[in-house]
Amino acid sequence: MAHIWPIGGGKGGSGKSFLASSLGRLLAKSGKKTLLIDLDLGAANLHTMVGVPYPEKCFSDFVTKKIPVLEDTVLGTPFPNLFLISGAHDNLDIANLPYDKKIKTLRAIAKLQYEYILLDLGAGTAFNTLDFFLASRNGIFITTPEPTSIENVYRLMRAIYFRRIRHYFSATDFKALEKKARQQSGDDSFNKPEHIISIVKKEYPEKYMLIKKDFNSFCFKLILNQLRKQDNTDLGMQICKIIKKHLGINVIFTGNIAYDEHVHDAICQRVCFLDRYPHTRAANDLRELNSKMSDSLGEQLMLNYL
Amino acid sequence: MEKDFAQLNYYEMLDIKPDATALEIRSAYNSALQIYQSDSLASYSFFSPKERKEIITLLEKAYFTLINEKEKESYDNELIRLGIIDSTEKNAAVKGPVSIFDINRQRDTSGMLKTHNAELKAKVSQNQRIREILSQQKISGADLKAIRNELGVAIENIHQETKIRIDYLNGIEENNIDKLPAAVYLKGFIKAYLKCLCIEPADEISARYMSGLARN
Repeated sequence: MAHIWPIGGGKGGSGKSFLASSLGRLLAKSGKKTLLIDLDLGAANLHTMVGVPYPEKCFSDFVTKKIPVLEDTVLGTPFPNLFLISGAHDNLDIANLPYDKKIKTLRAIAKLQYEYILLDLGAGTAFNTLDFFLASRNGIFITTPEPTSIENVYRLMRAIYFRRIRHYFSATDFKALEKKARQQSGDDSFNKPEHIISIVKKEYPEKYMLIKKDFNSFCFKLILNQLRKQDNTDLGMQICKIIKKHLGINVIFTGNIAYDEHVHDAICQRVCFLDRYPHTRAANDLRELNSKMSDSLGEQLMLNYL
Repeated sequence: MEKDFAQLNYYEMLDIKPDATALEIRSAYNSALQIYQSDSLASYSFFSPKERKEIITLLEKAYFTLINEKEKESYDNELIRLGIIDSTEKNAAVKGPVSIFDINRQRDTSGMLKTHNAELKAKVSQNQRIREILSQQKISGADLKAIRNELGVAIENIHQETKIRIDYLNGIEENNIDKLPAAVYLKGFIKAYLKCLCIEPADEISARYMSGLARN
Protein backbone atom coordinates (compact mmCIF):
# COMPACT_ATOMS: atom_id res chain seq x y z
CA MET A 1 0.00 0.00 0.00
CA ALA A 2 1.18 3.50 -0.74
CA HIS A 3 2.61 5.82 1.86
CA ILE A 4 0.30 8.78 1.90
CA TRP A 5 1.63 12.11 3.12
CA PRO A 6 -0.93 14.90 3.32
CA ILE A 7 0.67 18.33 3.58
CA GLY A 8 -1.30 21.09 5.26
CA GLY A 9 -0.48 24.33 6.94
CA GLY A 10 -3.47 26.47 7.67
CA LYS A 11 -2.15 29.64 6.16
CA GLY A 12 -1.63 30.35 2.50
CA GLY A 13 1.90 30.95 1.32
CA SER A 14 3.50 28.81 3.98
CA GLY A 15 5.05 26.53 1.38
CA LYS A 16 2.70 23.56 1.10
CA SER A 17 2.91 23.23 -2.66
CA PHE A 18 6.62 24.00 -2.63
CA LEU A 19 7.22 21.26 -0.08
CA ALA A 20 4.99 18.81 -1.94
CA SER A 21 6.75 19.39 -5.24
CA SER A 22 10.22 19.26 -3.70
CA LEU A 23 9.62 16.13 -1.68
CA GLY A 24 7.97 14.52 -4.68
CA ARG A 25 10.95 15.39 -6.82
CA LEU A 26 13.39 13.92 -4.25
CA LEU A 27 11.39 10.75 -3.76
CA ALA A 28 11.08 10.25 -7.50
CA LYS A 29 14.79 10.87 -7.92
CA SER A 30 15.57 8.12 -5.44
CA GLY A 31 13.59 5.74 -7.64
CA LYS A 32 10.27 5.75 -5.79
CA LYS A 33 7.15 5.87 -7.89
CA THR A 34 5.57 9.03 -6.56
CA LEU A 35 2.24 10.69 -7.21
CA LEU A 36 1.39 14.28 -6.33
CA ILE A 37 -2.28 15.12 -5.98
CA ASP A 38 -3.28 18.75 -5.99
CA LEU A 39 -6.13 18.85 -3.50
CA ASP A 40 -5.89 22.58 -2.97
CA LEU A 41 -9.39 22.67 -4.36
CA GLY A 42 -10.14 25.92 -6.08
CA ALA A 43 -6.62 27.35 -5.88
CA ALA A 44 -4.51 24.68 -7.48
CA ASN A 45 -1.08 25.44 -8.80
CA LEU A 46 1.07 22.44 -8.12
CA HIS A 47 1.27 21.75 -11.86
CA THR A 48 3.24 24.98 -12.37
CA MET A 49 5.85 23.84 -9.89
CA VAL A 50 6.49 20.47 -11.45
CA GLY A 51 6.79 21.63 -15.02
CA VAL A 52 3.34 20.75 -16.38
CA PRO A 53 2.05 24.20 -17.33
CA TYR A 54 -0.90 23.02 -19.44
CA PRO A 55 -2.30 19.84 -17.97
CA GLU A 56 -4.86 18.26 -20.27
CA LYS A 57 -6.67 16.29 -17.57
CA CYS A 58 -7.48 17.19 -14.03
CA PHE A 59 -9.04 16.07 -10.78
CA SER A 60 -12.36 17.63 -11.68
CA ASP A 61 -12.78 15.18 -14.55
CA PHE A 62 -12.99 12.42 -11.98
CA VAL A 63 -15.50 14.28 -9.84
CA THR A 64 -17.75 15.05 -12.81
CA LYS A 65 -17.40 11.44 -14.01
CA LYS A 66 -15.89 12.53 -17.31
CA ILE A 67 -13.07 10.14 -16.46
CA PRO A 68 -14.49 7.28 -14.43
CA VAL A 69 -11.25 5.98 -12.89
CA LEU A 70 -9.00 8.27 -10.83
CA GLU A 71 -5.93 6.46 -12.17
CA ASP A 72 -6.73 7.80 -15.65
CA THR A 73 -6.44 11.43 -14.56
CA VAL A 74 -2.78 10.90 -13.71
CA LEU A 75 -0.35 12.92 -15.83
CA GLY A 76 3.31 12.31 -16.41
CA THR A 77 5.79 15.07 -15.55
CA PRO A 78 9.15 15.91 -17.12
CA PHE A 79 10.75 13.94 -14.27
CA PRO A 80 10.91 10.16 -14.34
CA ASN A 81 8.89 8.39 -11.62
CA LEU A 82 6.99 11.55 -10.75
CA PHE A 83 3.30 11.74 -11.58
CA LEU A 84 0.65 14.34 -11.00
CA ILE A 85 -3.06 14.69 -10.66
CA SER A 86 -3.52 18.33 -11.44
CA GLY A 87 -6.19 20.73 -10.34
CA ALA A 88 -5.47 23.31 -13.01
CA HIS A 89 -8.77 23.27 -14.85
CA ASP A 90 -10.93 22.18 -11.97
CA ASN A 91 -14.50 23.37 -12.19
CA LEU A 92 -15.00 26.68 -10.46
CA ASP A 93 -17.25 25.10 -7.85
CA ILE A 94 -14.72 22.38 -6.97
CA ALA A 95 -13.93 24.03 -3.62
CA ASN A 96 -17.32 22.89 -2.36
CA LEU A 97 -16.77 19.22 -3.01
CA PRO A 98 -19.81 17.39 -1.63
CA TYR A 99 -19.38 14.74 1.05
CA ASP A 100 -20.13 11.72 -1.14
CA LYS A 101 -17.64 12.89 -3.79
CA LYS A 102 -15.03 13.38 -1.11
CA ILE A 103 -15.48 9.84 0.24
CA LYS A 104 -15.39 8.52 -3.30
CA THR A 105 -12.12 10.37 -3.88
CA LEU A 106 -10.55 9.07 -0.68
CA ARG A 107 -11.49 5.50 -1.58
CA ALA A 108 -10.06 5.97 -5.05
CA ILE A 109 -6.82 7.40 -3.65
CA ALA A 110 -6.48 4.41 -1.36
CA LYS A 111 -6.60 2.12 -4.38
CA LEU A 112 -3.90 3.88 -6.38
CA GLN A 113 -0.76 1.89 -6.95
CA TYR A 114 2.14 4.16 -6.08
CA GLU A 115 4.89 3.96 -3.53
CA TYR A 116 4.34 7.46 -2.24
CA ILE A 117 1.31 9.70 -2.64
CA LEU A 118 1.65 13.34 -1.57
CA LEU A 119 -1.51 15.33 -1.04
CA ASP A 120 -1.08 19.07 -1.43
CA LEU A 121 -3.90 20.56 0.60
CA GLY A 122 -5.33 24.03 0.61
CA ALA A 123 -5.20 26.73 3.23
CA GLY A 124 -7.90 27.05 5.82
CA THR A 125 -9.79 24.49 7.83
CA ALA A 126 -12.64 23.47 5.55
CA PHE A 127 -14.00 19.98 6.24
CA ASN A 128 -12.58 18.79 2.94
CA THR A 129 -9.09 19.85 3.93
CA LEU A 130 -9.42 18.24 7.36
CA ASP A 131 -10.71 14.96 5.97
CA PHE A 132 -8.00 14.76 3.34
CA PHE A 133 -5.45 15.49 6.03
CA LEU A 134 -6.88 12.69 8.15
CA ALA A 135 -6.70 10.26 5.24
CA SER A 136 -3.34 9.15 6.53
CA ARG A 137 -1.60 8.95 9.85
CA ASN A 138 1.47 10.68 8.48
CA GLY A 139 0.19 14.21 8.04
CA ILE A 140 2.76 16.96 7.67
CA PHE A 141 2.15 20.43 9.08
CA ILE A 142 4.12 23.26 7.59
CA THR A 143 4.35 26.78 8.95
CA THR A 144 6.59 29.82 8.79
CA PRO A 145 7.97 31.48 11.93
CA GLU A 146 5.45 34.30 11.86
CA PRO A 147 2.60 34.86 14.30
CA THR A 148 -0.01 34.76 11.54
CA SER A 149 1.18 31.44 10.25
CA ILE A 150 1.59 29.91 13.70
CA GLU A 151 -1.87 31.06 14.68
CA ASN A 152 -3.30 29.26 11.67
CA VAL A 153 -1.34 26.07 12.15
CA TYR A 154 -2.57 25.83 15.73
CA ARG A 155 -6.06 26.35 14.43
CA LEU A 156 -5.59 23.61 11.88
CA MET A 157 -4.27 21.21 14.51
CA ARG A 158 -7.19 21.95 16.80
CA ALA A 159 -9.65 21.61 13.94
CA ILE A 160 -8.20 18.25 12.96
CA TYR A 161 -8.27 17.03 16.54
CA PHE A 162 -11.85 18.22 16.84
CA ARG A 163 -12.89 16.56 13.60
CA ARG A 164 -11.39 13.27 14.69
CA ILE A 165 -13.18 13.32 18.04
CA ARG A 166 -16.36 14.17 16.20
CA HIS A 167 -16.04 10.92 14.21
CA TYR A 168 -16.63 8.96 17.41
CA PHE A 169 -19.99 10.46 18.27
CA SER A 170 -23.40 10.81 16.80
CA ALA A 171 -24.63 14.31 16.11
CA THR A 172 -26.87 14.50 19.17
CA ASP A 173 -24.25 13.08 21.53
CA PHE A 174 -21.76 15.59 20.27
CA LYS A 175 -24.16 18.48 20.75
CA ALA A 176 -24.69 17.41 24.33
CA LEU A 177 -20.95 17.21 24.76
CA GLU A 178 -20.44 20.72 23.45
CA LYS A 179 -23.11 22.03 25.74
CA LYS A 180 -21.43 20.47 28.74
CA ALA A 181 -18.09 21.92 27.77
CA ARG A 182 -19.66 25.34 27.56
CA GLN A 183 -21.20 24.98 31.00
CA GLN A 184 -17.99 23.78 32.55
CA SER A 185 -15.35 26.01 31.22
CA GLY A 186 -16.83 29.14 29.76
CA ASP A 187 -18.28 30.23 26.47
CA ASP A 188 -15.37 29.84 24.08
CA SER A 189 -14.36 26.47 25.45
CA PHE A 190 -16.47 24.32 23.12
CA ASN A 191 -14.01 25.53 20.52
CA LYS A 192 -11.14 23.85 22.27
CA PRO A 193 -10.79 20.12 21.72
CA GLU A 194 -8.80 19.79 24.94
CA HIS A 195 -11.89 20.78 26.92
CA ILE A 196 -14.11 18.44 24.98
CA ILE A 197 -11.76 15.55 25.50
CA SER A 198 -11.58 16.09 29.25
CA ILE A 199 -15.35 15.78 29.32
CA VAL A 200 -15.25 12.69 27.13
CA LYS A 201 -12.83 11.22 29.64
CA LYS A 202 -15.35 11.68 32.41
CA GLU A 203 -18.52 10.77 30.55
CA TYR A 204 -17.43 8.12 28.07
CA PRO A 205 -14.31 6.43 29.45
CA GLU A 206 -14.35 3.62 26.84
CA LYS A 207 -14.56 6.12 24.00
CA TYR A 208 -11.82 8.16 25.60
CA MET A 209 -9.54 5.13 25.56
CA LEU A 210 -10.36 4.53 21.88
CA ILE A 211 -9.66 8.13 20.94
CA LYS A 212 -6.42 8.13 22.90
CA LYS A 213 -5.29 4.95 21.22
CA ASP A 214 -6.26 6.41 17.88
CA PHE A 215 -4.21 9.56 18.43
CA ASN A 216 -1.22 7.67 19.72
CA SER A 217 -1.03 5.86 16.41
CA PHE A 218 -0.76 9.13 14.51
CA CYS A 219 2.64 10.25 13.41
CA PHE A 220 2.17 13.93 12.62
CA LYS A 221 5.15 15.97 11.62
CA LEU A 222 5.95 19.65 11.76
CA ILE A 223 8.22 21.50 9.38
CA LEU A 224 9.23 25.12 9.80
CA ASN A 225 9.66 26.87 6.49
CA GLN A 226 11.36 30.15 5.54
CA LEU A 227 13.51 30.32 8.63
CA ARG A 228 15.65 33.43 8.38
CA LYS A 229 19.01 33.74 10.07
CA GLN A 230 17.71 35.78 12.98
CA ASP A 231 14.83 33.42 13.74
CA ASN A 232 14.77 31.13 16.72
CA THR A 233 15.81 27.65 15.58
CA ASP A 234 14.18 26.05 18.63
CA LEU A 235 10.76 27.32 17.66
CA GLY A 236 9.68 24.03 16.13
CA MET A 237 10.60 22.09 19.24
CA GLN A 238 8.75 24.59 21.39
CA ILE A 239 5.61 24.30 19.29
CA CYS A 240 5.70 20.51 19.53
CA LYS A 241 6.17 20.76 23.29
CA ILE A 242 3.11 22.95 23.66
CA ILE A 243 1.03 20.65 21.48
CA LYS A 244 2.12 17.62 23.46
CA LYS A 245 1.51 19.22 26.82
CA HIS A 246 -1.72 21.02 26.18
CA LEU A 247 -3.41 19.10 23.39
CA GLY A 248 -1.91 15.70 24.07
CA ILE A 249 -1.07 15.15 20.39
CA ASN A 250 2.33 13.85 19.40
CA VAL A 251 3.79 15.98 16.64
CA ILE A 252 7.36 15.28 15.66
CA PHE A 253 9.42 18.27 14.72
CA THR A 254 11.21 17.22 11.55
CA GLY A 255 13.29 20.22 10.66
CA ASN A 256 13.72 23.75 9.43
CA ILE A 257 13.93 24.94 5.86
CA ALA A 258 16.08 28.03 5.45
CA TYR A 259 14.64 31.13 3.84
CA ASP A 260 16.03 31.43 0.38
CA GLU A 261 15.50 34.09 -2.28
CA HIS A 262 16.29 31.48 -4.87
CA VAL A 263 12.98 29.74 -4.25
CA HIS A 264 11.21 32.80 -5.55
CA ASP A 265 13.52 32.90 -8.57
CA ALA A 266 12.95 29.24 -9.36
CA ILE A 267 9.17 29.60 -9.14
CA CYS A 268 9.26 32.68 -11.40
CA GLN A 269 11.35 30.77 -13.90
CA ARG A 270 8.85 27.89 -13.56
CA VAL A 271 11.61 25.36 -13.04
CA CYS A 272 12.15 22.90 -10.23
CA PHE A 273 14.01 24.67 -7.43
CA LEU A 274 16.09 21.61 -6.57
CA ASP A 275 17.37 21.30 -10.13
CA ARG A 276 17.99 24.99 -10.66
CA TYR A 277 19.70 25.71 -7.30
CA PRO A 278 20.88 22.38 -5.91
CA HIS A 279 23.58 23.78 -3.65
CA THR A 280 21.65 26.34 -1.67
CA ARG A 281 20.86 26.05 2.01
CA ALA A 282 17.17 25.50 1.39
CA ALA A 283 17.95 22.67 -1.03
CA ASN A 284 20.20 21.03 1.52
CA ASP A 285 17.53 21.35 4.16
CA LEU A 286 15.00 19.72 1.85
CA ARG A 287 17.29 16.79 1.13
CA GLU A 288 17.90 16.35 4.84
CA LEU A 289 14.18 16.43 5.55
CA ASN A 290 13.52 13.90 2.86
CA SER A 291 16.07 11.46 4.21
CA LYS A 292 14.66 11.91 7.70
CA MET A 293 11.13 11.30 6.54
CA SER A 294 11.48 8.46 4.11
CA ASP A 295 12.27 6.05 6.89
CA SER A 296 9.14 6.92 8.82
CA LEU A 297 6.79 4.09 8.11
CA GLY A 298 3.99 2.61 10.16
CA GLU A 299 0.37 2.17 9.46
CA GLN A 300 -0.38 4.33 6.49
CA LEU A 301 -4.02 4.57 5.70
CA MET A 302 -7.06 4.97 7.83
CA LEU A 303 -9.07 1.88 7.20
CA ASN A 304 -12.42 3.52 7.72
CA TYR A 305 -12.28 4.86 4.18
CA LEU A 306 -11.62 1.54 2.53
CA MET B 1 -5.03 15.91 26.80
CA GLU B 2 -3.59 13.85 29.60
CA LYS B 3 -4.01 16.34 32.42
CA ASP B 4 -4.86 19.95 32.89
CA PHE B 5 -1.73 22.05 33.29
CA ALA B 6 -2.83 23.02 36.79
CA GLN B 7 -2.97 19.36 37.79
CA LEU B 8 0.61 18.63 36.83
CA ASN B 9 3.13 18.53 39.62
CA TYR B 10 5.85 21.14 39.65
CA TYR B 11 8.38 18.83 38.09
CA GLU B 12 6.08 17.98 35.21
CA MET B 13 5.30 21.65 34.66
CA LEU B 14 8.96 22.44 34.23
CA ASP B 15 9.76 19.19 32.43
CA ILE B 16 12.45 18.10 34.84
CA LYS B 17 13.12 15.06 36.99
CA PRO B 18 12.73 15.19 40.78
CA ASP B 19 16.49 14.96 41.20
CA ALA B 20 17.16 18.12 39.20
CA THR B 21 19.80 20.47 40.52
CA ALA B 22 19.15 24.13 41.20
CA LEU B 23 20.84 25.04 37.96
CA GLU B 24 18.70 22.64 35.95
CA ILE B 25 15.58 23.99 37.63
CA ARG B 26 16.59 27.50 36.69
CA SER B 27 17.27 26.74 33.08
CA ALA B 28 14.04 24.74 32.83
CA TYR B 29 12.18 27.73 34.21
CA ASN B 30 13.87 30.01 31.73
CA SER B 31 13.00 27.86 28.75
CA ALA B 32 9.42 27.46 29.99
CA LEU B 33 9.14 31.23 30.22
CA GLN B 34 10.37 31.53 26.67
CA ILE B 35 7.49 29.36 25.55
CA TYR B 36 4.72 30.84 27.68
CA GLN B 37 5.59 34.54 27.86
CA SER B 38 3.02 36.79 26.31
CA ASP B 39 5.39 37.91 23.54
CA SER B 40 6.47 34.37 22.73
CA LEU B 41 6.07 33.35 19.12
CA ALA B 42 5.77 29.64 19.88
CA SER B 43 2.55 29.94 21.86
CA TYR B 44 1.06 32.84 19.93
CA SER B 45 -2.74 32.60 19.88
CA PHE B 46 -2.65 29.20 21.56
CA PHE B 47 -3.79 30.51 24.92
CA SER B 48 -6.22 33.19 25.92
CA PRO B 49 -4.65 35.97 28.04
CA LYS B 50 -6.33 34.51 31.10
CA GLU B 51 -4.97 31.02 30.49
CA ARG B 52 -1.54 32.41 29.85
CA LYS B 53 -1.57 34.35 33.09
CA GLU B 54 -2.61 31.27 35.01
CA ILE B 55 0.17 29.21 33.48
CA ILE B 56 2.81 31.85 34.20
CA THR B 57 1.60 32.12 37.81
CA LEU B 58 1.83 28.35 38.19
CA LEU B 59 5.29 28.27 36.67
CA GLU B 60 6.45 30.99 39.03
CA LYS B 61 5.06 29.11 41.98
CA ALA B 62 6.73 25.91 40.83
CA TYR B 63 10.03 27.66 40.33
CA PHE B 64 10.07 29.50 43.66
CA THR B 65 9.10 26.33 45.51
CA LEU B 66 11.69 24.13 43.89
CA ILE B 67 14.52 26.63 44.00
CA ASN B 68 14.12 27.02 47.76
CA GLU B 69 15.70 24.02 49.42
CA LYS B 70 13.44 23.95 52.45
CA GLU B 71 10.26 24.32 50.46
CA LYS B 72 11.43 21.77 47.92
CA GLU B 73 12.03 19.31 50.74
CA SER B 74 8.51 19.66 52.11
CA TYR B 75 6.99 19.61 48.62
CA ASP B 76 8.90 16.43 47.79
CA ASN B 77 7.75 14.82 51.03
CA GLU B 78 4.19 15.67 50.14
CA LEU B 79 4.59 14.08 46.68
CA ILE B 80 6.18 10.99 48.22
CA ARG B 81 3.34 10.74 50.69
CA LEU B 82 0.84 10.87 47.81
CA GLY B 83 2.86 8.24 46.00
CA ILE B 84 3.49 10.45 42.98
CA ILE B 85 7.24 10.21 43.12
CA ASP B 86 9.55 7.64 44.63
CA SER B 87 11.89 8.58 47.45
CA THR B 88 14.73 6.89 45.58
CA GLU B 89 13.93 8.97 42.51
CA LYS B 90 14.44 12.14 44.44
CA ASN B 91 17.90 11.45 45.76
CA ALA B 92 19.43 9.77 42.78
CA ALA B 93 23.18 9.46 42.54
CA VAL B 94 25.12 12.58 43.37
CA LYS B 95 25.69 14.53 40.24
CA GLY B 96 28.96 15.89 39.07
CA PRO B 97 29.33 19.58 38.48
CA VAL B 98 27.15 20.99 35.74
CA SER B 99 28.94 23.41 33.50
CA ILE B 100 27.44 26.83 33.18
CA PHE B 101 28.19 26.97 29.50
CA ASP B 102 27.12 24.03 27.44
CA ILE B 103 30.15 23.53 25.26
CA ASN B 104 28.44 20.85 23.25
CA ARG B 105 25.49 22.99 22.41
CA GLN B 106 25.00 23.04 18.70
CA ARG B 107 23.77 25.88 16.69
CA ASP B 108 21.48 25.14 13.85
CA THR B 109 23.85 23.71 11.31
CA SER B 110 21.29 22.34 8.93
CA GLY B 111 22.33 22.98 5.41
CA MET B 112 25.86 23.95 6.39
CA LEU B 113 28.32 21.35 5.32
CA LYS B 114 30.97 21.91 7.90
CA THR B 115 34.20 20.15 7.23
CA HIS B 116 35.79 19.09 10.43
CA ASN B 117 39.07 20.89 10.51
CA ALA B 118 40.86 18.76 13.08
CA GLU B 119 39.82 15.61 11.27
CA LEU B 120 41.00 16.99 7.95
CA LYS B 121 44.34 18.08 9.40
CA ALA B 122 44.96 14.62 10.79
CA LYS B 123 44.12 13.12 7.40
CA VAL B 124 46.43 15.50 5.60
CA SER B 125 49.37 14.69 7.85
CA GLN B 126 48.82 10.94 7.66
CA ASN B 127 48.13 10.50 3.99
CA GLN B 128 51.15 9.30 2.05
CA ARG B 129 49.81 10.36 -1.34
CA ILE B 130 49.07 13.89 -0.26
CA ARG B 131 52.57 14.28 1.15
CA GLU B 132 53.99 13.07 -2.13
CA ILE B 133 51.96 15.58 -4.10
CA LEU B 134 52.87 18.44 -1.78
CA SER B 135 56.55 17.70 -2.07
CA GLN B 136 56.44 18.18 -5.84
CA GLN B 137 58.07 21.24 -7.32
CA LYS B 138 55.03 22.03 -9.44
CA ILE B 139 51.43 21.71 -8.31
CA SER B 140 48.77 21.43 -11.00
CA GLY B 141 45.01 21.49 -10.89
CA ALA B 142 44.90 17.73 -11.22
CA ASP B 143 47.07 17.49 -8.10
CA LEU B 144 44.61 19.64 -6.18
CA LYS B 145 41.82 17.40 -7.33
CA ALA B 146 43.74 14.32 -6.24
CA ILE B 147 44.26 15.83 -2.79
CA ARG B 148 40.62 16.70 -2.50
CA ASN B 149 39.61 13.19 -3.50
CA GLU B 150 42.03 11.69 -1.00
CA LEU B 151 40.38 13.77 1.71
CA GLY B 152 36.93 12.81 0.51
CA VAL B 153 35.60 16.37 0.30
CA ALA B 154 33.02 17.11 -2.36
CA ILE B 155 33.61 20.03 -4.66
CA GLU B 156 30.22 21.40 -3.65
CA ASN B 157 31.43 21.66 -0.06
CA ILE B 158 34.36 23.76 -1.13
CA HIS B 159 32.02 25.87 -3.19
CA GLN B 160 29.78 26.40 -0.17
CA GLU B 161 32.56 27.28 2.21
CA THR B 162 34.69 29.44 -0.03
CA LYS B 163 31.84 30.90 -2.09
CA ILE B 164 33.99 30.40 -5.19
CA ARG B 165 31.88 29.70 -8.25
CA ILE B 166 31.72 26.03 -9.05
CA ASP B 167 32.74 26.47 -12.69
CA TYR B 168 35.93 28.22 -11.51
CA LEU B 169 36.61 25.32 -9.17
CA ASN B 170 36.08 22.87 -11.99
CA GLY B 171 38.30 24.96 -14.26
CA ILE B 172 41.06 24.95 -11.66
CA GLU B 173 40.89 21.21 -11.17
CA GLU B 174 40.79 20.47 -14.87
CA ASN B 175 43.60 22.92 -15.67
CA ASN B 176 41.24 24.56 -18.09
CA ILE B 177 43.02 27.84 -18.62
CA ASP B 178 40.23 29.45 -20.63
CA LYS B 179 37.89 29.08 -17.72
CA LEU B 180 40.19 30.55 -15.08
CA PRO B 181 39.79 34.07 -13.71
CA ALA B 182 42.55 36.69 -13.78
CA ALA B 183 45.76 35.68 -12.03
CA VAL B 184 45.27 38.02 -9.11
CA TYR B 185 41.91 36.41 -8.32
CA LEU B 186 43.12 32.93 -9.06
CA LYS B 187 45.86 33.17 -6.47
CA GLY B 188 43.34 34.06 -3.81
CA PHE B 189 41.04 31.24 -4.93
CA ILE B 190 43.81 28.68 -4.69
CA LYS B 191 44.65 29.88 -1.21
CA ALA B 192 41.02 29.66 -0.11
CA TYR B 193 40.75 26.21 -1.65
CA LEU B 194 43.83 24.99 0.21
CA LYS B 195 42.72 26.55 3.49
CA CYS B 196 39.34 24.92 3.11
CA LEU B 197 41.12 21.56 2.90
CA CYS B 198 43.38 22.50 5.84
CA ILE B 199 46.54 22.25 3.78
CA GLU B 200 49.51 24.26 5.04
CA PRO B 201 51.33 26.38 4.05
CA ALA B 202 48.70 27.75 1.71
CA ASP B 203 50.80 30.74 0.59
CA GLU B 204 53.74 28.72 -0.50
CA ILE B 205 51.76 26.03 -2.28
CA SER B 206 49.62 28.54 -4.14
CA ALA B 207 52.80 30.28 -5.26
CA ARG B 208 54.09 26.97 -6.62
CA TYR B 209 50.77 26.46 -8.41
CA MET B 210 50.93 29.93 -9.94
CA SER B 211 54.51 29.57 -11.11
CA GLY B 212 53.65 26.19 -12.65
CA LEU B 213 50.79 27.79 -14.51
CA ALA B 214 52.94 30.68 -15.72
CA ARG B 215 55.48 28.31 -17.22
CA ASN B 216 52.72 26.67 -19.27
